[in-house]
Amino acid sequence: MDRDMTTSAAADETTRPGFQTSMRVKKRSGALEPVDVSKIVRAIDRRCAGLGDVDAVRVATRTISGLYDGATTQELDLLSIQTAAALIAEEPQYSRLAARLLAAYIDEEVRSEEVRAFSQSIALGRRLGLIHERLHEFVAAAAGRLDEAIAPERDLEFEYFGLRTVYDRYLLRHPQTRRVIETPQQFFLRIACALAESVPEAFELYELLSSLSYLPSSPTLFNAGTRHEQLASCFLIDSPRDQLSHIYQRYTDVAMLSKFSGGIGLAYHRVRSRGSLITVTNGISCGIVPWLKTLDASVAAVNQGGKRKGACCVYLESWHADIEAFLELRDNTGDEASRTHNLNLANWVPDLFMRRVEADAGWSLFDPKTVRDLPDLYGEAFEARYLEYERAGLAVRTVPARELYARMMRTLAQTGNGWMTFKDRCNTTCNQTGAPGRVVHLSNLCTEIVEVTAGDEVAVCNLGSINLARHTKTCPDGQVEFDFDKLARTVRLAVRQLDRVIDLNYYALPGARTSNEKWRPVGLGLMGLQDVFFQIGLAFDGEAARGLSRRISEEIYFHALAASCALARERGRHPSYAETRVARGELQFDAWGVTPSEPARWDRLRAEIGAHGLRNSLLVAIAPTATIAAIAGCYECIEPQVSNLFKRETLSGDFLQVNRYLVAALKQLGLWTEATRDQLKLAEGSVQGLAGLPEALKLVYRTAWELPMRALIDMAAERGAFIDQSQSLNLFSESPSIGQLSSMYFYAWKRGLKTTYYLRSRPATRIAKATVDSAAGAEQSAPRAAVACSLENPQSCEACQ
Amino acid sequence: MSHVHRPARLLDPGLCLTLRPMAYPAFFEMYRAAIKNTWTVEEVDFSTDVGDLRGRMSEAERHLVQRLVAFFATGDAIVANNLVLSLYRHINAPEARMYLSRQLYEEALHVQFYLTLLDTYVPDPDERHRAFAAIENIPSIRRKAEFCMRWLDAVQGMERLDEREQRRRFVLNLICFAACVEGLFFFGAFAYVYFLRSRGLLHGLAAGTNWVFRDESAHMRFAFEVVSTIRREEPELFDAALTSDVQAMIAEAIDCETQFAEDLVGGGVAGLSVRDIRQYLEFCADQRLATLGMPRRYGVKNPLPFMELQDVQEVANFFERRVSAYQVGVTGQVVLDAAF
Repeated sequence: MDRDMTTSAAADETTRPGFQTSMRVKKRSGALEPVDVSKIVRAIDRRCAGLGDVDAVRVATRTISGLYDGATTQELDLLSIQTAAALIAEEPQYSRLAARLLAAYIDEEVRSEEVRAFSQSIALGRRLGLIHERLHEFVAAAAGRLDEAIAPERDLEFEYFGLRTVYDRYLLRHPQTRRVIETPQQFFLRIACALAESVPEAFELYELLSSLSYLPSSPTLFNAGTRHEQLASCFLIDSPRDQLSHIYQRYTDVAMLSKFSGGIGLAYHRVRSRGSLITVTNGISCGIVPWLKTLDASVAAVNQGGKRKGACCVYLESWHADIEAFLELRDNTGDEASRTHNLNLANWVPDLFMRRVEADAGWSLFDPKTVRDLPDLYGEAFEARYLEYERAGLAVRTVPARELYARMMRTLAQTGNGWMTFKDRCNTTCNQTGAPGRVVHLSNLCTEIVEVTAGDEVAVCNLGSINLARHTKTCPDGQVEFDFDKLARTVRLAVRQLDRVIDLNYYALPGARTSNEKWRPVGLGLMGLQDVFFQIGLAFDGEAARGLSRRISEEIYFHALAASCALARERGRHPSYAETRVARGELQFDAWGVTPSEPARWDRLRAEIGAHGLRNSLLVAIAPTATIAAIAGCYECIEPQVSNLFKRETLSGDFLQVNRYLVAALKQLGLWTEATRDQLKLAEGSVQGLAGLPEALKLVYRTAWELPMRALIDMAAERGAFIDQSQSLNLFSESPSIGQLSSMYFYAWKRGLKTTYYLRSRPATRIAKATVDSAAGAEQSAPRAAVACSLENPQSCEACQ
Repeated sequence: MSHVHRPARLLDPGLCLTLRPMAYPAFFEMYRAAIKNTWTVEEVDFSTDVGDLRGRMSEAERHLVQRLVAFFATGDAIVANNLVLSLYRHINAPEARMYLSRQLYEEALHVQFYLTLLDTYVPDPDERHRAFAAIENIPSIRRKAEFCMRWLDAVQGMERLDEREQRRRFVLNLICFAACVEGLFFFGAFAYVYFLRSRGLLHGLAAGTNWVFRDESAHMRFAFEVVSTIRREEPELFDAALTSDVQAMIAEAIDCETQFAEDLVGGGVAGLSVRDIRQYLEFCADQRLATLGMPRRYGVKNPLPFMELQDVQEVANFFERRVSAYQVGVTGQVVLDAAF
């Protein structure tokens, strides 16, 4: 590399002629004044405490070089934040600096609304019609204590991406000025007060939230303490009945539930298939596709409170005669009238289908009109009835099971959609199916909720996730270990909060309230598992990681049950407790044939539960945590990292993320250089080719694309024994083939997973690297073509010579 | 002239039809990779763009977008014309022509995308028409169009590449469209889109442009692969005179694009200065020169930090974006014991 290219950018910019004098900024008063570089440097420098590797001068000079003459001081502030954020990929500490600059910017904005204390923010929110009366009274009664509880230094916990997300999307805004009327800390305390029953409990919760140790799901963060407290994340709606009026009723149901945020799962098993006779009009049905096309438009139209688009996943049983058309709904070619780009799709797969795939046998497809009871049967009863219908010759068609399975796999590879979820496993392991006639008909938008539905009773779940990254401690010898005591405390507090949401929640549909009060399910999940492995230095697919992951899930389940049992003793068990499997003494791991690690402790808990019951029929569900992991600054749920260097796209814009654990390791080795950064970019965030990095670290810092998926599935199965709902398990394949996918999902089924989620793959061609100064890498000609040994043309093939 | 014998060199005139044995499998692999990345305009979600334009952007930023769309609306069409009038005619390998056919489709798709964008952003039919007239009416765009047309005209009327001079002219045309039109004009235009996207603005424009960028990157790679093939087969074409012609061509392209930048950000856009854009173009130009095996001329670093964003993997929050990374054209059969 040329010597002059390695000179620091700061020097580069300060030596540019003229920029210090020519530029002017417009003050709030409207007056123009010359840009004062040293003033800007000082303002930035004040925020650099403890950040040894950031350079305030560099941020300041870069900011000014992007400025235009006559820009406002506000533009200047925003630009300095963006300028710092743009340096994150080079030095992760700039993320902290950008967050601090943004925090100062927010503070100023809130002050401009005359808010100086938490209670003032609540009072203003109430005057503006935003805040719930209950919350206002709660705060007014303890204003002094609450105002003092605000810990502004907690803003330092944020990474830029997290604070930016909070600022753009979560803080309450003045309806007219659109300026925020609360600081991030006031926001956390508002949520805590809204979800607590007493001031001490509010303090405990605030401590949990503001330390980013635990976060409730987005709907709770969006709406807690507001006039419309729709706090639940997930809604599961059974299939419309096979009637026009009921199909339209469901559109309304979906729209009403979407309005205040929350994702929808909707089954479609009961609606007749294409070619079925419509008796009343003597017409022939066009099947489910036109109905789903309408649903697609409806979902796009209903915006979740202006905050994000509605989202819905449609479930279809694999015997439905429209299954093939269903699998093509997300294709990007073909007739647009049969395409639904806004809907997510999931297969609700009976075991019998998987066994027919295994045996390479035929599979019969039916019109629900002629087999009305199949959606309400599972296990042996389903199988007996299915065979009976086959024998009776009711099948619309019979196809080779593997042919349909291959189509499912193709849909997954081409669209990432068409999730494989297993009907029988979901039913036989569900605590709510203890009584006959109770059936799980579908999972939810993210395949982690498994709850029964009955007619118009909509299953509901509210969620929260523990940030495992904040549950580690450093021993005197410098070793990092997992803090199980802290985990236990967090779980117990979180369960109480989640349980409280059930009573506070605003229900847009009466059927949702009925079901939720009857079953009182909650979904406590986790995030930042990858962070824990990085902190301790474990390879994701190693035995130590798998053991730790299992133990964490076991602890969460244990303490969640204990907390729910304590709640039952205080307030009574949930009304349908007698119908549950737990009431018969069966816990989740019993269904998996797994023995927990400390049986005596579990026996005591079982006895407690036998005596008092549970307040909640379901407790654990691992959600994808897309947005809240962003706020907490950790890796999502149970996922391995996707890349050591990646871009996150959200409504707030794009953010560059670099694996800060890796950067720390590389710095220690003296390897965090521009050459390394370029190499990381060229290798799409992989460190496997990085010279000088010890093999052990290469194992730790593999990406999802480099890990064996079998290990991910095994880990999920081990964890599964302690999850009474399910987990949003993404699987990854660089360039998927039908053979590979069919084996992979078959294994997932064999291991007893209830559900799987997206299949992630990578684009076949890439964008040229615009900023890497390496011609060889930037525009190299089709690397794949170069290594593919071309038997067709041996004389020009250099790969083998 | 036989259609079944492979010509000795890629630029030897003719219409070779023989795919077996295959002389240039790299082109065929590029064709296959391109097929896997099929996308359609219908997948792009414009739902928030109009709101951003009306409510979240300044007058200066709206001007930038308007100019940009006006450029895109005609830019891809010019490239498509050159494909048909020059590249397809003279690159005599059926597998390369397969790639070019695919590229032609992609250029049409890009035109369709920017047309849809224009119809969405600009409600007034007269204004829509004016956007297409930009290549004649708006000086900063006209200058870029004239530059392209000059290099297109340079190969007009050349039916065959028999003479060295003809081949040389073709190589310059090829390099012009790869290094300057795709490698600088488009790279420049994408930079504005990425700038807006880094501010969370215009998701529809950004999503579609991301896919366009992916396609254009592949087109550029293909063109450079053709260049290096020709260099291997006819190294004598690549003499000092050619290098100096290419350098002059690139310098002129940078000037054209800088003038465009002055028009685009002239109203004052915080975070984008003409000087930074010019430096970014120089940085890109050095990469193009290096790829062509020619010495770098500018020796500058990339000054636009938001361009780093497009160099790394996206992880979309599916609630908010459609993931753009899925593959079309998956093959194979069901087996239950494959490695995974």
